[in-house]
Amino acid sequence: MAKHERRVGYGLPAILAIGLHALVVVISVISLPSSEVESPSSSIVQATLISTETATDQAQRAQEARERAAARQAEEEARAAEEAARQAEEQAERQAEQQRAQAEAERQEAQHEREAARLQAEEEARRRAEAAEQQAQRREEEAERQRQEEEARRQAEAERQRQEEEARRQAEAERQRQEEEARRQAEAERQRQEEEARRQAEAERQEEEARRQAEAERQRQEEEARRQAEAERQRQEEEARRQAEAERQRQEEEARRQAEAERQRQEELARRAAEEAASRSLAQAIEGESESVANARQAEEAANSFINLVRSAVEQAWMIPAGSNQGAVVTVSVQLGPSGELLGASVSQSSGDSAFDQSALQAVRRAEPFSELRRMPATAQREFRQFNLRFQPGDVR
Amino acid sequence: MNDSMSIFHLIINASTVVQLVMLILTVGSILSWIVIFQRSFVIRRARRAHQAFEERFWSGIDLNELYRETPSEQETVGAEHVFRAGFREFNRLLPKTRSPQSILDGVQRSMRVAWSREEERLTLHLVFLATVASASPYIGLFGTVWGIMGSFQSLSMAQQATLSTVAPWIAEALIATAMGLFAAIPAVIFYNRLSSESSKLLGKYEDFAEEFHSILHRNLQGRADSDAA
Repeated sequence: MAKHERRVGYGLPAILAIGLHALVVVISVISLPSSEVESPSSSIVQATLISTETATDQAQRAQEARERAAARQAEEEARAAEEAARQAEEQAERQAEQQRAQAEAERQEAQHEREAARLQAEEEARRRAEAAEQQAQRREEEAERQRQEEEARRQAEAERQRQEEEARRQAEAERQRQEEEARRQAEAERQRQEEEARRQAEAERQEEEARRQAEAERQRQEEEARRQAEAERQRQEEEARRQAEAERQRQEEEARRQAEAERQRQEELARRAAEEAASRSLAQAIEGESESVANARQAEEAANSFINLVRSAVEQAWMIPAGSNQGAVVTVSVQLGPSGELLGASVSQSSGDSAFDQSALQAVRRAEPFSELRRMPATAQREFRQFNLRFQPGDVR
Repeated sequence: MNDSMSIFHLIINASTVVQLVMLILTVGSILSWIVIFQRSFVIRRARRAHQAFEERFWSGIDLNELYRETPSEQETVGAEHVFRAGFREFNRLLPKTRSPQSILDGVQRSMRVAWSREEERLTLHLVFLATVASASPYIGLFGTVWGIMGSFQSLSMAQQATLSTVAPWIAEALIATAMGLFAAIPAVIFYNRLSSESSKLLGKYEDFAEEFHSILHRNLQGRADSDAA
């Protein structure tokens, strides 16, 4: 057995062991390259939307306060107007209710009245008819009495005639004596009788006439009474309807006028508020051109502060890939929701390094709830729903 | 390459204590692997040498000739070493004493010493493997705990505690445990394997020593008989 084989040195095992570890390291490095980016380095993210101009924070705060006050005032006004409108509505409703109730009451009243009128008219008619009847009866009685009188007179006449006949017969003898006279007398008598008969016929006719007249009178009176009752009823109904109509119209008119007045008052109020706001804004404008310039700067500054917050948040979340190029720049378009939540982020201008782009997108997603947006004025919020962020690695180690 | 979350970057960015722990573990792993390779080679060669020696020993060769052919004592290993120690002691004692029992005692003692040296040689550094196997998980765990402590300390200063701010620290800390396990697992496996192999070889040496002892005893018994006759 060869002597050199007896001793096993440490050189070869050491080489083998180190080679093994190197292999393990190489495998781990090759198998893990697609994993996450981690670098808490102080990188710089620049947002393109910014103007680097700086203004005093006080002006911005004042502007914000003013805007807040204006917003609060407007809100209060709106609330007052709403309240007023609601009150007006309630009032109108109440009035309408009242009117409805009134109309109901009136209708009932009218109905009552109509009923009463009808009853009254009926009563009246009945009374009149009764009266007419009584009158007719009275007339009839009168006629009866006349007739009786006439009868009595006729009887008396007949008696008288009979007596006269008697007398004539008595005087027959005498007639012979005084025939001429008798004849003359007879003639006179005949004439008189004729006259009498004519008068009687006349009386009879007159009586008939009177009866007819009474009948006609009664009918006429009844007709009259009915017509009067009808007319009365119609008139009353008409009156009630007209009154109800007038009342309703009046109330409608009243309600409309009140609503109109309310509306006008509110309009007036709103106009006055608007005028006031306008005058205030005018006053603000008058405060000085420098102030307006400052305001513009403040708006920008508010934007800046928001952008700065976003930038710092994104910066914290950004882990620049280790092997990325120093000069790489990627622009990310960010869309925000109303409460600052991230709706979407997309690379609008790629740096050419997809890992770098992805790291920027991930940074935006990690920094996501930009709740600072809610603290911004409403007008500015709309502007910052969408903005671009420019990612550029600064002093990466 | 986008590998700042890779093991390499995590190790580079770790805190000093964790880095130290990682260094210790790396060194321990490398040393344990050196031991593993070295022991594997040694035991494989010892097994081969033992097979070759046994073939020669039982081939009916004269023991004096075999003793002369074998190299000097410092370079012999395994059963050959045992044979040389025993036979040399036998040759030295044979002219000095006539008592076969004392010769056999001396031979046995000498072979036991040689066997014990062989045992020491075979199990050399295996204790180191056992140490690495048992200690490196704890060392790695220590590194992890230390790293997580550091991560929470830095987290208390951060504005917002998201998972993404904690994750690198945790990953970095967990690397220490991973490295500890990476060092410990092969050490455990190879410690068991190498120690069983070496004990098997030592058993074979012991068997050979007994057989050689019986041969010498037979030889002495024959000479005592011839002396008595």
